[in-house]
Amino acid sequence: MRETRQYGCASDQKIPQMPESQGVISGTVFLIILFLFIPVPFLGCFMGEQCRSFPHNEFVQLIGALLAICCMIFLGFADDVLNLRWRHKLLLPTMASLPLLMVYFTNFGNTVIVVPKPFRALLGMHLDLGILYYAYMGMLAVFCTNAINILAGINGIESGQALFISGSIIIFNVLELNGDYRDDHVFSLYFMIPFFFTTLALFYHNWYPSSVFVGDTFCYFAGMTFAVVGILGHFSKTMLLFFIPQVVNFIYSLPQLFHIVPCPRHRLPRLQADTGKLGMSYSKFKQKDLGKLGQLVLKVAEALWLLEVRRGQEGDDEFIECNNMTLINLVLKILGPIQERNLTAIMLLIQVLGSAIAFGIRYHLVRLFYDV
Amino acid sequence: MSPIPILPLVINCCMSALGCLATLKLIPAFKEHFISARLYGLDMNKTTKKQVPESQGVISGTVFLIILFLFIPVPFLGCFMGEQCRSFPHNEFVQLIGALLAICCMIFLGFADDVLNLRWRHKLLLPTMASLPLLMVYFTNFGNTVIVVPKPFRALLGMHLDLGILYYAYMGMLAVFCTNAINILAGINGIESGQALFISGSIIIFNVLELNGDYRDDHVFSLYFMIPFFFTTLALFYHNWYPSSVFVGDTFCYFAGMTFAVVGILGHFSKTMLLFFIPQVVNFIYSLPQLFHIVPCPRHRLPRLQADTGKLGMSYSKFKQKDLGKLGQLVLKVAEALWLLEVRRGQEGDDEFIECNNMTLINLVLKILGPIQERNLTAIMLLIQVLGSAIAFGIRYHLVRLFYDV
Repeated sequence: MRETRQYGCASDQKIPQMPESQGVISGTVFLIILFLFIPVPFLGCFMGEQCRSFPHNEFVQLIGALLAICCMIFLGFADDVLNLRWRHKLLLPTMASLPLLMVYFTNFGNTVIVVPKPFRALLGMHLDLGILYYAYMGMLAVFCTNAINILAGINGIESGQALFISGSIIIFNVLELNGDYRDDHVFSLYFMIPFFFTTLALFYHNWYPSSVFVGDTFCYFAGMTFAVVGILGHFSKTMLLFFIPQVVNFIYSLPQLFHIVPCPRHRLPRLQADTGKLGMSYSKFKQKDLGKLGQLVLKVAEALWLLEVRRGQEGDDEFIECNNMTLINLVLKILGPIQERNLTAIMLLIQVLGSAIAFGIRYHLVRLFYDV
Repeated sequence: MSPIPILPLVINCCMSALGCLATLKLIPAFKEHFISARLYGLDMNKTTKKQVPESQGVISGTVFLIILFLFIPVPFLGCFMGEQCRSFPHNEFVQLIGALLAICCMIFLGFADDVLNLRWRHKLLLPTMASLPLLMVYFTNFGNTVIVVPKPFRALLGMHLDLGILYYAYMGMLAVFCTNAINILAGINGIESGQALFISGSIIIFNVLELNGDYRDDHVFSLYFMIPFFFTTLALFYHNWYPSSVFVGDTFCYFAGMTFAVVGILGHFSKTMLLFFIPQVVNFIYSLPQLFHIVPCPRHRLPRLQADTGKLGMSYSKFKQKDLGKLGQLVLKVAEALWLLEVRRGQEGDDEFIECNNMTLINLVLKILGPIQERNLTAIMLLIQVLGSAIAFGIRYHLVRLFYDV
């Protein structure tokens, strides 16, 4: 990858150049596995006469899902190579979702949802979301890709979180194989199993100390694969439950993402040269650059012990320094500086904890919202 | 048989026209991104050392994909609005999605090749991998591997012949051939995009002529892909024409080759499609000795700029006499005798040297017509492409009677 500068320099590593965008390799292997797998679920229809009529719906679903994922890997790789702007990070997953939406439209077209119990007095038992359902599906891919992308910055976290999320989805699918929607979960397993194993190989090289970086390509690839199985497997709400750490990180990051609080180029933790541990990274800005809303956010977050704020003076200007609002920084705030490998391990433990909570909500608290 | 779907075709044309405008605007807009990413080339036949953005096929390819993604439900609208179809045509839907999957994968792998500079053996592997979904869809949709035997061979093989797995091998190699055939007829401004433009135009004309025939649906399917391809390539051609402000990259050759292979295979007219590739086939056969290194092959075989006249002349391959095997010596002798090759022999020091022109169709044209200015040379090559298409139509509609019953 030398010629087109596809490498990164980790600020915490001594190695100057490391290959970037390695998600393109695991993604390509994933595609090849599934291309070769395409006829396998339908072999029964060709060999014995085990099916009454060819299940076109399922076949179209498989091909359509692959089209969305293939397109996403392509656009993700193009983003890594060409360094596209932030607004493109919202456009690209939307474009790659189009075939998914079109396949959903022609295959099911179902936009009616079951209303959760607390809202039934207001909205009735069922609600036809119409075009809003498609908007939700379109945004699901955008959310999943970017949610993984912003929980990043320490060796092994991107591939690690995706590995654990896909593992959770696999466990969920296996548990549901005895349920009413077996086919949906079998479909999901067809994608999650290859994803898990190709990501496992990537994780091996990406784990501390990273010999490769996964690139935005991987975040796009992972996010779209999750969105695809969630949408076509009809379990997108459960899938989002496995994203609890990502959602927490996203909400905590909102003030910086919308520039209510100034947001630097990189928000990853900083290496403390003397201890070799990672500590919080900070965003430094002038008092007068902070709007009223930003001041409010800072006050509230500081009061809730969610933010460390330092105020100081340099020359004529008053300066404010606050820690970058990411989940990783929050962990460092609570636990103090930690060595990078341990920090990633803790973040992955949080991911497992989030999945455990997700299973708890899905199988127990769910009675509060739906009849099961 | 169903009537000609006028409305979807009109919608397709409108979307393609918009796609043409979008590509026209997007190519200059992303110039800086490509140059910053070090995806640029230097025009070897110009005296200026300006950086020319490379791989612009990725832009026309992406616009093509977006047009077709948005177009996916259009041929089937009749089934959702009025009740104009008895049952949903799943076969056609799967075909559409499967074709898009193969093309999308090919654009991706082609772009990866441009970025990562993969080796020659990868140029054979990548189209094969991208063809897999096409083969799988064909297997599950039709599975038909029986061909009608051409008349001269019927005494030997019978009326029909089941090729079995060989049919799939043929389909797999079709994409490999089309992509690389376009890729090696290259080197002068505008030739890659130009040849693809004229081939797709010929296919469109063929499809329109066949709309009144027995296989209307196959040709409508082909038009759904060829029309957006034509218009996005037109925009690319506008920027790639002499003097090139952008280069199309291997991405475009992969994209074009796969799109042609897809319509040829799923439209069941791959033999006719190959007829439109006559100049590419001639170039390929003429290049074979160098491609197999029977005759030594340099890194670049494009024509060379003659600094004094500003015209392009033949490029040469220079090598020692002793590096040439017996087969190579034979090839050189035969080609020279047929006036197809210019060979110079000389001596430098202790070694005997041989210099022969690189065996490409472009060099052959320069051999026959002498040095030509680059713009005119590309125009002549495109004229050859049109001539090839005319011959193709002649073979398809007249000479065909020698081989098949029509």
